[in-house]
Amino acid sequence: MSTLALPDQQIRVETSSAQRTAPTGRAGATIRKTLYRSGAIIGFLLVWELIPQFLLEPASKVFLPPLHEVLQQLWKMIVSGDLLTHISASLGRSAIGFLLALVIGVPVGLVVAWFSRIGDFLNPLLEVFRNTAALALLPVFTLTLGIGELSKVTIVLYAAFFPVLLNTILGARSVDPLLIRAGKTLGLNNFEIFSKVVLPASVPIIFTGIRMAGTSAVLVLIAAEMIGAKAGLGYLITNSQASFLIPKMYAAILTVAILGFVVNAALVALERHFSRWARA
Amino acid sequence: MSRIEIKNLSKKFQRTGASDQSAVTAIDSLDLWIEDGEFFTLVGPSGCGKSTLLDILAGLSTPSQGEVLVDGQPISGPSLERSVVFQQYALFPWLTAAANVQVGLESQARHGQGLNKAERRIRAHEYLRLVGLEGVEDKYPHELSGGMRQRVAIARALAHEPKVLLMDEPFAALDAQTREQLQDLLLDIWKRTKTTIVFITHGIEEAVYLGQKVAVMSARPGKIKEIVNIDLQDRQSVDDIRSTQQFGEYRHHIWSLLHSHSRQDVAASVEKTLISSGATA
Ligand SMILES: Nc1ncnc2c1ncn2[C@@H]1O[C@H](COP(=O)(O)OP(=O)(O)OP(=O)(O)O)[C@@H](O)[C@H]1O
Ligand SMILES: [Mg+2]
Repeated sequence: MSTLALPDQQIRVETSSAQRTAPTGRAGATIRKTLYRSGAIIGFLLVWELIPQFLLEPASKVFLPPLHEVLQQLWKMIVSGDLLTHISASLGRSAIGFLLALVIGVPVGLVVAWFSRIGDFLNPLLEVFRNTAALALLPVFTLTLGIGELSKVTIVLYAAFFPVLLNTILGARSVDPLLIRAGKTLGLNNFEIFSKVVLPASVPIIFTGIRMAGTSAVLVLIAAEMIGAKAGLGYLITNSQASFLIPKMYAAILTVAILGFVVNAALVALERHFSRWARA
Repeated sequence: MSRIEIKNLSKKFQRTGASDQSAVTAIDSLDLWIEDGEFFTLVGPSGCGKSTLLDILAGLSTPSQGEVLVDGQPISGPSLERSVVFQQYALFPWLTAAANVQVGLESQARHGQGLNKAERRIRAHEYLRLVGLEGVEDKYPHELSGGMRQRVAIARALAHEPKVLLMDEPFAALDAQTREQLQDLLLDIWKRTKTTIVFITHGIEEAVYLGQKVAVMSARPGKIKEIVNIDLQDRQSVDDIRSTQQFGEYRHHIWSLLHSHSRQDVAASVEKTLISSGATA
């Protein structure tokens, strides 16, 4: 990397003598890289702004308002506190379902992995459940648990549970047996082998499951809220559409996109932090 | 610091549900006596049951027949009294070097006969210093070289002061220079601690250099073919002891023991020439 960057830097030195302000060296490279990386997003936003402005007829412009109108609407909703109400409704539900999935999924996964006979017995059933789209079960949850909070939280729990469970089983099963042997010779009993070797060794794989669970918790919830709810971002989207408040609908969609992105980024950072010892 | 008696030991591996004929006999009625404080090395062809024997000594697997006594007591499972150093280091990658060294100490403390937290930290640093690793206490295994990892593993095996140290080809994955350094380090530690060491290796030179006794095993099923007493002066007091005549004689003797077996077994002359060409290599 550094040797490759060298000729490039020399060129930069020549040009920067003319314009002092040009960033040089590493900082410059980072800025350029960031610009390059966000290029596609910036381009997309530009298209969103310009096409409705200049190319669409007024009639279709109603269905696709330019970006700045959507942002204005978004700002209004932020200021009024409206948006926060919906975000916290959605985040609250997904957080509860997601955390329940963790609290149940990780211990159950560890037990299933430890007692391999239970695992062999349960595995086919788990595969069937996992491959059943959570939303397909929404009518069942609504029928049995009503249309209130309980069915929403339950569907998030369902969607988040299986990635956590299956990755925990996978992680615990793929622990290097050598480490277990080493642990035994260092005086660890069965429970300590479990808590001090198997659990930490499976953390990276468990976290992959947690990240997948977090993403699907948000996705499934938004969809569930679109079908029946009185608050939340999914409700905001369908409700705005029904009331023909098109910029508001787009503002809500934009919020969902940003929220999903932020949740994923936070979980990726967490995953990195807890797996930093794992070899690349 | 412990005497090990192996009496009529056999180990068969059998898949559950498989027939008796398909069982693999890894060790067949083996007898061995290892003295208190002895440095005992074990050589033998690949697959002859060396690791199987070490597993049984460590308490990680149970014999099919016979018994192993340590200081007169039968082995009932893994124990902090018998530490193991594995070829692939087996360090816990999520723990720092110092934390790895403290794992055994913490187990000891949980059984109410160990050091407190501060003392454990000091002990870990002491043992890392003993293996020549000062300043890496807070590094993770993936930040260390192979040689350094194996040093940490040795420190981890010794920190709780076991009576027996079991080593299964611990230096096989290292380059020649690092290996020689660690051999000398191990001799130093052994002289200081008088721990009984059972050391498995494929290297005849390594076995002669380290061992007071070298046991030569025959191919499967594993039996002891001969135990060679190595009567060399202090390894490090002589310059390059490996090139002395006496060392060469031991080396050659063990080499012939390892190869005579193959000669009997292998009928085809083609293979014979392969073996003799292996001698010059
Ligand atoms: N868990 C097991 N199940 C079945 N057979 C086994 C098992 N472990 C070892 N064996 C067999 O027992 C024999 C002895 O194996 P062992 O690992 O003790 O050999 P070794 O002397 O350590 O060989 P190497 O020098 O290559 O490490 C081999 O034939 C091996 O296939
Ligand atoms: Mg082996």
